[in-house]
Amino acid sequence: MLEIAQFGAGRIGQIHAGNIAAIKDVRLRYIVDVNADAARKLAARYGARVVAERDALADREVGAVLIASSTDTHARLAIAAARAGKAIFCEKPIDLSLSKVDSCLQEVDKAGVPMFVGFNRRFDPSFSALKARLDAGEIGAVEQVVISSRDPGPPPLSYIKVSGGMFRDMTIHDFDMARWLLGEEPVEVFAMGECLVDRKIGAAGDIDSAMVLLRTGSDRMCHINNSRRAAYGYDQRIEVLGARGMLRAENLGETTVEHFGARGTVADRPLDFFLERYTDAYRAEMAAFVRALTQSTPMPVGAKDGRQALVLAEAALQSHKKKQAIRIG
Amino acid sequence: MVNFALFGAGRIGRMHAENLAQRSDARLVYVVDTKPEAARALAEPLGARQAAAEEAFSDPQVDAVLIASSTGSHADLSIAAARAGKAIFCEKPVDLTLPKVDLCIKEVRKARVPMFVGFNRRFDPSFRDLKKRLDAGAIGKLEQVIITNRDPGLPDLRFLASSGGLFLDFTIHDFDMARWLLGEEPVEVFARGAVLVDPRVRTEGKDIDTAMLLLRTASGKMCHINNTRRAVYGYDQRIEVLGAKGMLRAANLAPTSVERFGAEATCVDNPWPNFQTRYAAAYAAELSSFIRSVKTRKPVEVGPEDSRQVLVLAEAARKSSQTGRPIRLK
Repeated sequence: MLEIAQFGAGRIGQIHAGNIAAIKDVRLRYIVDVNADAARKLAARYGARVVAERDALADREVGAVLIASSTDTHARLAIAAARAGKAIFCEKPIDLSLSKVDSCLQEVDKAGVPMFVGFNRRFDPSFSALKARLDAGEIGAVEQVVISSRDPGPPPLSYIKVSGGMFRDMTIHDFDMARWLLGEEPVEVFAMGECLVDRKIGAAGDIDSAMVLLRTGSDRMCHINNSRRAAYGYDQRIEVLGARGMLRAENLGETTVEHFGARGTVADRPLDFFLERYTDAYRAEMAAFVRALTQSTPMPVGAKDGRQALVLAEAALQSHKKKQAIRIG
Repeated sequence: MVNFALFGAGRIGRMHAENLAQRSDARLVYVVDTKPEAARALAEPLGARQAAAEEAFSDPQVDAVLIASSTGSHADLSIAAARAGKAIFCEKPVDLTLPKVDLCIKEVRKARVPMFVGFNRRFDPSFRDLKKRLDAGAIGKLEQVIITNRDPGLPDLRFLASSGGLFLDFTIHDFDMARWLLGEEPVEVFARGAVLVDPRVRTEGKDIDTAMLLLRTASGKMCHINNTRRAVYGYDQRIEVLGAKGMLRAANLAPTSVERFGAEATCVDNPWPNFQTRYAAAYAAELSSFIRSVKTRKPVEVGPEDSRQVLVLAEAARKSSQTGRPIRLK
């Protein structure tokens, strides 16, 4: 039986707790949260106990920690967990600062504990099938990747202000997808950022719209487009062009019902928002984490992936500010 | 009735000739080509006649010329046509060099003849409807444009070497679509090119076969273009436009809508295989637009100034891909 201590009982924490509960031979032992009420409620639902951070980490029965607290606590908790010898599942991003991520990676390396970073999109059934077919050579060598990633609406300004900016907060998922699909590290980033959705976002020092180009050492190319506001819903699409064809994953609607009317044909909006769109992905990533732990295989997405995505995000930010292409590595 | 002299009896010339032949408001009178036999072979079955350029220009019954000869001859023929007082339909591009395009614009203005440049994609029924809805405010203020333009396969390598390069020969259509859809001039171009399809494109064609670009306008609207010379699934021609109130998208068109549901998968037709089939309606519609302008003396829908701006963007893209830097335009 794998015993898990979970940090964070918020929105994403509740998703993870539910997914853990559904896995055989895994038990949610502890919930830790600064919000005692939220912790109690969540713990009660899954038969876990509310404890202090120190107690959770000191318990030798705990094999793994799940870090789903606020971003600014991720690195500190991951380091504490590593020192306590626990396996780590950490929500993305590890941290918004590269130096903090590096010191976290160092501690995790030193402790020799496995660490998984929650880039959930890799585990979406459609995206992971696309990647498996790509790897199986179905379309030959990859040439171009196009990632569309648009939120249904901007988050509150209070969140924007602490988010680390759109590239670190939102595009970071796309940078991870890009690395994963390109199969090579990008060596160049060019990013255009704009404030087109809401002036208040610009006034808060952030952007709400972006287009990015990445290029790898062998000249594979990737385009990412982002917006904080797509009126038609959460837009999550991928297309990969190869020498022998194209693989494409489209948006998913809540249902497949189409209405054929006098003025046109109407289908469902894309699933809105990430908790709904990526329900299966969150379940599958937790299963993958547990499987890697119980079978002692390497983590499918680890701390270094978290770091590389952040490197690309920082380069994008720099590119946007300097209006230049940024070389990586 | 608008009487035409056609210059160029090649692939694209034949298509225009056949479109003219189907019209009741236009007549093909002459076909001019450096190969008189080719001109004759095209002209005679359509009730027209092979002629030399001088004859076509000096015949007062010729109202308009349709220039579908090789790119290098477009500007000179346009200038000659302007001086002869003929209305001009010129295949894109007017020329691959700015001074020549500028000279052509000057002569055409001086002669006060209408000149239409064949950026056919603006006349594709789907793209045209998308643009109409965009202009009608269907998705509010425009924010992002994505243009996918992929050829089914590599052209002749010798053609590549003389084509002016991917940005001038191929992306040129996308630059026009970008300007048209953005509704503003791009002020910044970033382009990346590569040879991923066939190394001979570099060695023999002196060109690239793959590209991705970003454009930005002064008000911060952004546009992405992606190109390849080889998409094995067909001629990939898609547009998507994001606005404050939604998205408009025009997908590929296929010869049929039949879907086959088999034991292993569901299969649909590939997109139309080439520009002749994909843009058949667009070629016919652009001719209608030109003829309408000639008959009603209304301004042409796309003119040499558009061709000039597109050339500016293509040159900037080439410079950007060579230097690795974004290029700012005035």
